[in-house]
Amino acid sequence: MTTKYMERLAKIEEVLLIANKKIDLNELRAGCSYGVPESLRPLAWRLLLHYLPLERHDWQKFLAEQRKNYDDMIEQIIVEPGTASMAINSVQEEEDHDHPLSDHPTSDWSAFFQDNKVLSQIDKDVRRLYPEIQFFQLLSKFPHPHGMKYPLSRRVINHQELTSQEFGANRDGIVGCVKTKVAKSQDENQAPNSEFHWHFSLLTALLNSNFQIVERILFIYAKLNPGVQYVQGMNELVAPIYYVFANDSDEEWAAYAEADTFFCFQQLMSEVKDNFIKTLDDSICGIESSMSAFHNMISSFDSELHKHLTSTLEIKPQFYAFRWLSLLLSQEFPLPDVITLWDALFSDPQRFALLQYVCLAMMELQRESLLQGDFPFCVRLLQNYPDTDVAKIVAFAQDIRDGKATRPVPKEASKGSKIARHARQLSDTLRNLSIIKK
Amino acid sequence: MARRPYDMLFKLLLIGDSGVGKTCILYRFSDDAFNTTFISTIGIDFKIKTIELKGKKIKLQIWDTAGQERFHTITTSYYRGAMGIMLVYDITNAKSFDNIAKWLRNIDEHASEDVVKMILGNKCDMSDRRVVSRERGEKIAQDHGIRFHETSAKLNVHVDTAFYDLAEAILAKMPDSTEEQSRDTVNPVQPQRTGGSGGCC
Repeated sequence: MTTKYMERLAKIEEVLLIANKKIDLNELRAGCSYGVPESLRPLAWRLLLHYLPLERHDWQKFLAEQRKNYDDMIEQIIVEPGTASMAINSVQEEEDHDHPLSDHPTSDWSAFFQDNKVLSQIDKDVRRLYPEIQFFQLLSKFPHPHGMKYPLSRRVINHQELTSQEFGANRDGIVGCVKTKVAKSQDENQAPNSEFHWHFSLLTALLNSNFQIVERILFIYAKLNPGVQYVQGMNELVAPIYYVFANDSDEEWAAYAEADTFFCFQQLMSEVKDNFIKTLDDSICGIESSMSAFHNMISSFDSELHKHLTSTLEIKPQFYAFRWLSLLLSQEFPLPDVITLWDALFSDPQRFALLQYVCLAMMELQRESLLQGDFPFCVRLLQNYPDTDVAKIVAFAQDIRDGKATRPVPKEASKGSKIARHARQLSDTLRNLSIIKK
Repeated sequence: MARRPYDMLFKLLLIGDSGVGKTCILYRFSDDAFNTTFISTIGIDFKIKTIELKGKKIKLQIWDTAGQERFHTITTSYYRGAMGIMLVYDITNAKSFDNIAKWLRNIDEHASEDVVKMILGNKCDMSDRRVVSRERGEKIAQDHGIRFHETSAKLNVHVDTAFYDLAEAILAKMPDSTEEQSRDTVNPVQPQRTGGSGGCC
């Protein structure tokens, strides 16, 4: 196992050697397809996602340009409108021309409120990122120097106060805390706690927590891509990339985690955004057709399982595969496992064909339980996939893809299970009858 | 006869804007716990709880949906099989209340006619941030002839009551002993609705 790991490490290192003027992408993919060592992952992902050019001598100039581009975007999209929104008093002077209640389509305020609708949705979701780990709640080591002065969550707050407190999240954000502080006399028990929360939240609102950086990335993406905007779940696609880049042991690179995550996310979205566009749902590139392709794949690899799930139990791919496929399995496993899984997914030359095989491997690894389970059992299993060694899933998926895995043999021949199934069907029928008669 | 884990199966659905607390309500009911740090629901989620009502064991199969508009095409396909729908808004979020009308239209379009509806105003523990009065909630429910409760998943206020109330209403609608045609909601063998079901009983 360790020697295998060392071999893999050596292989990837060889591809990434400084002496290599041009990175061989195919070699890199081959090396990374079973997982990338932590120290090399930030670089490998930048390459695999087609962000960094393959010519090494281009890197410095390219990165400097891209990071400058990102600064400019922050300036145009966040700082300038942010300055207006945060200086409400000075805007009062221009009231004749434009004001917060103006519904004129060219009103800056109207655009501002439109943005804040998107923003308040993003804000709700980024606060809910990977609650089992602390990282996203912690302060960023390298907050963006301009962006941090205009934390977007504060704009959501301004919006809230201007439009009769229209804000939906039940969070310990600054809004709730300011209000709790005002109203603390109503609830003496909670007062000291609220006070603490208030200071704490104020602090985190002015400094930048990692979730606020994800928020900024998503907001800029939504502004630049009005056709896609923000759809719930995109937060789950940014988070692993940002986590990997921000924890780069090379601090020179970690310092630009935000900008580089933005561009890598943009690259990733260019490949998977169709999943998020509602109007494409029924088209050939939409999520519905990905789901039915996946169920066809189960059917041809394991007809018995397919039949059991779809005909007997009537489990639709929407029940579980929607989330699996559209979020690249990011909600199914703990973050470190998601990252290992993404090493393999990003190394797939036919992105994201491997994803479907990974999903099939997940089904096959639970085959016996699924075949014995009833509807609630199977749905619950598929929606809460048990802890599994993801390396094992990936290896199995690659075997299925490469035709090396043996197809499961239908158990029709086995008398025992046949009788058991008949008995189960009979008892289901009886149960249905008894429901109808009641 | 052989042991029967439950007498009836009711399929329920939770809908409403994103962030109003659908998942928290369900978690409070199914696991009797509260957690502010739920990840957002993508697509559709599912929980089971068996309750006893009027001497019958009733298995509740509860579907929790994503709130954002984008997921409506995915989630509306579950409306059809639902026997009860809980429409949740957040009493501290005016927009989520304004959208009730939109959600009700969705139900009319996609759910079966005899589905039992209920409106829940959640987060009623946060009185200092309340922007939707109880009266407004009651009024809209009354206008549509729908049951209404204000709930707090956090403090466990009326969550159980709401689910029991909904289950009871569904139970009351069940044909008692009438030899009625099979009801599509409980009989998977006959998924198609019989023609002209509109005016029956």
